[in-house]
Amino acid sequence: MSRPRSVVVVGASTAGLAAARELRRRGHTDAITVIGGGEEPCSRPPLSKQVLKDGSADGTVSIPTADLGLEVVRSPAAHLDPERRRVTTRDGHDVPYDALVVATGSAARRIAAPGQSGELVLRTLDDARTLRTRLGRADTAVVVGAGFLGMEVASACVHHGVSVTVVDVAPPLERVVGTFVSAVLVRRARSVGVELVQSEGPVSLDGDPVTGVRLGEGTVLRADLVVTCAGDVPVTDWLDGHAWAGPQGVEIDHGGRTPLEGVLAAGDVAAVREEAWLRRRPFWSNAVAQGRLAAATLLGDEPGGPVWDDYFWSEVCGHSLKMVGPVPRGEPEVLAGDPCTGSALLRWWDSDVATVVAVDHRIPVPRLRALALERERA
Amino acid sequence: MRIDIDEARCEGHGLCEEAAPEVFSLDDDAMVVDAFGGGEVPDGLAAAARAAIASCPVAALRERT
Repeated sequence: MSRPRSVVVVGASTAGLAAARELRRRGHTDAITVIGGGEEPCSRPPLSKQVLKDGSADGTVSIPTADLGLEVVRSPAAHLDPERRRVTTRDGHDVPYDALVVATGSAARRIAAPGQSGELVLRTLDDARTLRTRLGRADTAVVVGAGFLGMEVASACVHHGVSVTVVDVAPPLERVVGTFVSAVLVRRARSVGVELVQSEGPVSLDGDPVTGVRLGEGTVLRADLVVTCAGDVPVTDWLDGHAWAGPQGVEIDHGGRTPLEGVLAAGDVAAVREEAWLRRRPFWSNAVAQGRLAAATLLGDEPGGPVWDDYFWSEVCGHSLKMVGPVPRGEPEVLAGDPCTGSALLRWWDSDVATVVAVDHRIPVPRLRALALERERA
Repeated sequence: MRIDIDEARCEGHGLCEEAAPEVFSLDDDAMVVDAFGGGEVPDGLAAAARAAIASCPVAALRERT
């Protein structure tokens, strides 16, 4: 592909803006149009951490764009016409492109029945502010989903003195961090009063408006506040009719390209084929890595990095977690500290792929990545 | 341009160092260090410094106004 003149980015969040910034860094001086239909661009990781605790961080979560010289269209994308190389927005703007980056992200997965009101989710700054206000008034809460988002919301409940129960079909965080680290974090969460309940089968929400959660076995847990943290759904409805965009996301190759010439994708919306599966990794680091990759590819440059960045971090009930590498299995090698009593630096090997986890252990992330690349074993 | 660091926010993610290694580095405690100590960043490094500020996922860095 020859160096494109006009680049259009659909989605004004982490991946889209990382692509725009990388385009400028690589010397693209022509037009970059960002189509952003939602709220002001903001970095999401703080929304489930600092922002749930108090209002002092609200003004700092926005993603800086003023220095990038972007054209901004503030209406969601509604239609893609690849023959005419045009995106049409909901308010009728026709935006032509030489190259297109799809970065429309994902939305919170909701489990309310049709018409059932009062379900709370956490995705946007507005959601976070609403939740923070409700946390200030609630005595009890139930969180549906014990992934990292659910556990961070539970941590905010503890911070506000709200009694919280987290419900999931599997042990907390196990899918994300594996059995060993899950057990460490579960002990710590329980020690500050978080109740963890495993449901036999999927749960549903009870009441209209929602006042509780019905477990798989029929028991209903009632609370002042019910929050659904049950994953995310890629935003691809505007790409209706395109086989490469569907409920599993927008398929990309290792250069960030979709099957359509001149169209790339990045971030929470993007999925990479791994054997039989199409897999998304809707984490902040991936959004940045894939945004940058899309920029390099569309300029015809060598990719600056891989299509995945598996660095991930979280905070559970006051305990920090940083992780590089795939979900580990079994017992780790303890590189420092003691996971039973305090801070720890842990490493697992699976053939020659390592996973390194730091729990309450301040280590520069580049050092964490380096530990995951060292080929020698203890 | 000058940089303000909110040390309480810094978690040592290291994106700043990656974006602008002549301006930012992480010490052994994973805390960010400004090579110019809060003083004037040379013009040639300003763009990279702004990219670094934008890259911090926890907004620990700000351009001083």
